Amino acid sequence: MLSRVADSLYWMSRYLERADGILRMLKINYASSQGDLQEFSWKPVLRLFTYMKEEEANTIAYDSRAVLQYMVTDKENPNSLVNIVTHARENARAVQDHITKEVWQCLNDYYHAVRDERLAHRLHKEDPISTLDVLIKQGLLYYGTADITMARGEGYAFINIGKYLERALQSADILDVKFSDAHFDFSKIHTTYWKYLLLSFSGYELYLKTYKSGFDAKNVVGQIVLNKDFPRSVIYSINRLSRYFERLENQGNKPGYETVEFLIGKLKSEISYTTVDMIEDAGLHNYLIKVKKELSEVANALNKNYFAYS
Amino acid sequence: MQTSELLNNYDVDAGTWDEMYKDSAVREQYRAVVDFMQQLSVEELNKKEELARGLFMTQGITFTVYSSGEGIEKIFPFDIIPRIITASEWSYIEEGIKQRLKALNLFLKDVYNEQFIIKDGVIPAEMIYSCPHYLREMYKFPVPYDIYVHIAGIDLIRNSDGSFYILEDNLRTPSGVSYMLENREITKRLFPDLLPKNNVRTVNEYPNILHKNLVSLSPRQIANPTIVVLTPGIYNSAYFEHTTLARMMGVELVEGRDLVVDNHRVYMKTTAGRQLVDVIYRRVDDDFLDPLIFNPNSMLGVAGIMSAYRKGNVAVVNALGNGVADDKAIYAYVPAMIKYYLNEDPLLRNVPTYQLSKPEEKELVFSNMNKMVIKKTNESGGYGMLMGHSASDEEIYNYKQEILKNPRQFIAQPIISLSSSPCYMNGKLVPRRVDLRPYALCGPNGVEIVPGGLTRVALKKGSLVVNSSQGGGSKDTWVLSV
Repeated sequence: MLSRVADSLYWMSRYLERADGILRMLKINYASSQGDLQEFSWKPVLRLFTYMKEEEANTIAYDSRAVLQYMVTDKENPNSLVNIVTHARENARAVQDHITKEVWQCLNDYYHAVRDERLAHRLHKEDPISTLDVLIKQGLLYYGTADITMARGEGYAFINIGKYLERALQSADILDVKFSDAHFDFSKIHTTYWKYLLLSFSGYELYLKTYKSGFDAKNVVGQIVLNKDFPRSVIYSINRLSRYFERLENQGNKPGYETVEFLIGKLKSEISYTTVDMIEDAGLHNYLIKVKKELSEVANALNKNYFAYS
Repeated sequence: MQTSELLNNYDVDAGTWDEMYKDSAVREQYRAVVDFMQQLSVEELNKKEELARGLFMTQGITFTVYSSGEGIEKIFPFDIIPRIITASEWSYIEEGIKQRLKALNLFLKDVYNEQFIIKDGVIPAEMIYSCPHYLREMYKFPVPYDIYVHIAGIDLIRNSDGSFYILEDNLRTPSGVSYMLENREITKRLFPDLLPKNNVRTVNEYPNILHKNLVSLSPRQIANPTIVVLTPGIYNSAYFEHTTLARMMGVELVEGRDLVVDNHRVYMKTTAGRQLVDVIYRRVDDDFLDPLIFNPNSMLGVAGIMSAYRKGNVAVVNALGNGVADDKAIYAYVPAMIKYYLNEDPLLRNVPTYQLSKPEEKELVFSNMNKMVIKKTNESGGYGMLMGHSASDEEIYNYKQEILKNPRQFIAQPIISLSSSPCYMNGKLVPRRVDLRPYALCGPNGVEIVPGGLTRVALKKGSLVVNSSQGGGSKDTWVLSV
C-alpha cells in the first residue's frame, strides 16, 4: 500500500473518531449544564478542546449555545466539528479507490450534513441534544458501513489503528476535562455528571451491572480507564490498537514494525498492570498525561516508519 | 400535463439541425422518451432533476472551487433528457474515428522518426517545428506497438444539414469519460426501464478495455504488472475522474510525490518499501511530467521519469509529444494525412480552417471577422477564443493586434451552427446546442470505441460554447443498437 494512502486512511479514521468524541463530550456537558446546581462553566472544555485564549473563553464560558455553535459549526475554530469532518472527507477523497463506495457516500452525506446551513439555527433555537444525536448517528453509520463493507486488508488495519489511537486519547481527554475543573478531587464532582458521562459513552448499564454500590468516582475511573470489556475504555482501545497493528507484521517492513511494536507493547503492559488505587496515588491527571504522552510517541513512530513519503 | 405544454416552447432556431424535431414532428428515435416524459407531471419531472442533483452530491461527483480559503462543491450541470444517436449514425461515426486515429498514430510515428510527410511536402516543416508541443525528447524513440494515442476524445459537431464534422482531436489527456459512465448510472435511476426498452447499448466496458490495453503495454511480461493512474492531486478539477478510473480498473491512484526513479526505473513508495511500476496512465500534462526535462518548477511530476520511459522500463499513456497532432493548426492537415498514409478519403469532415500565418487566408479572415471563430492553436477548454458574431468592434480590434504579433498561434473557422437537442428547463423542453465526444481506445489489437460518449450542452439560450468552464453542462448519450 502507498505510504500516502496509509497516511490518509489513518487520518480519515482519526478525524472521524475525534468527531464522535467531541459530539459525545458536548452532549454530556450540555446535559449536565442543565442539571447543575451552580452555573455551569464550559471553561475546561474550551481549554482542552480548542485553541481559544483564556480571555476569549471567559466571554462565552457560561453560554452553552454559544459554545455549541463554536464547537460544531464555527469555521474559524480549527477543531470544530465542521472542520474535522471536512478534514476526514478530504482524506477520504484522496483515497477513494481504497475505501468502498458505500463508505465514501456515507462520508459525503456526513459532510453535507455538518455543512447544512440550518445546523447553527437548530443548535441555537431547538433542542441541542436532538441535533447532536443526528450528527452522532451519521458517525455511527460510518462505523457500521466501514465494518460491513471494507476488506480486511492492510488499509483496514490502518483505519483501525487510527481509530483506537484517537479513541484512547479522546477518552483520556474527556475524563480529564472535569477533573481539572474540580482540582483533581474525585469527591467534588456531582454524581449527575458521572451518570451523563456514562450514558453518553453507552456505559451506564455496564456500570450498574459491574459496580452495584451507586456512584463512586473511583469506579467510574476504573471503568473508563481499566475495564477491558468497555469499548470506550483506554485499555480496550490500546488492546485493539495493538491487535490491529500486529496485522502489519508480515507486510514487509520489519525494522519499522519492531520499533512501533515495542512502544505499543510497553504501553499495553503498563496499563494491564495498573489498578485504580495506583492511579489515585499517582494522581489521575498525571496518570492521564503520561498515557497521552506515550500514545503520541506511538503516533510519531507510525509517522516516521510507515507514512514518510515526502 | 398535456403533450402540447411540454413541447409548446420548443422553437428550433432557423437553419439548425435539431436532434429531436424534424418538420415539427418528433423523430423516431426520440418517440419513446418523449412519450415517457409526457406521462409525467411537472412536479414529477422536477423531482427527477432534484434526484439527479442529490445523487451527484452523495456520490461526490463534484469538483471543488476554492474561494476565500473555503472549498465549495460544484456539480457539473446535468440535463436529464438523454441525447440519442441512431445505430446508423453511430456506425458512420465509429468508422470515421477509427480511420482518423489510425492516420494520427501513423503521423506521430512519422514526425518522431523518418518524417516522410515533411520530406514529401505534405506538411511544411515549419508547421511541425513551430508547434510548442513537438518534443525533441521523443525523437527516434520507439514507443510500444507504435501506439502514441492510447486514449482519444474526439469532438464532433453537427452542421445544419445534419452531417458530422470533427471539431477537435484531443490526443493528450482527454477528460470527461467518467461523466459518460456516471451520467448513464444516473439515467438508470431517473428513468426506470427506459434504457432496455429503447435498446440502448451499454458503456460499461470502457474501464475493462482500458485496463486490458494498459496491461498489454507492460515492459515486464508478467501476469500482474503494476499499473497506476497518475493524478495531479485532489485540487485538480478532474480528480473525481482519476479516482473513478483507478477504482473501476482496480489499480493504484498515485501522485507525483508517491513515485521515485532509481536507476531508470520507476517505483512507488509503499508501507513495505518500493514497488516497481510498469505502466503509468498519467493525467498530468507533458510539461509537468518530469522537472528534469520540462518545467523545472513542476511539483506534480516525477524527476527522472523521462529517462525510465526512454529506456523502455515503464510505459506512459498517452505518449508524450502528442500535442503536435492535436494542435489546431496541424488539424487542417489531418484530411491530407488520411490520404497520405491510408490512401483513403476522410469519412468525417473537418471544419474549414484558415491559417493566419498564410497572408492570403489572413486577409480573408480579417475582412470577414463577424462570421468567424478564432482560436489559439495551443489552448483548450474554450479559453482564448473569439466568437466574431458576438464580439464588439473593440474586442475584434484588440484580437487582431494579438494575431499580428504571432499569427502561427491562431486559426480561424467559419462559425458552424451546432445541432440542438432538447433540454428540460422549468417544466418545458427547450432546444440547446450540443456537441459529442466519444472516447476511443487504441490497443495492440486496434481501435475500440465504446458506444456512447459525452454530450456537452450549452445551457444558455443561443450559446454555441459547450465547454464546462464556460457554462456548459452534459447529458447522457444513448447509442441505439437497432
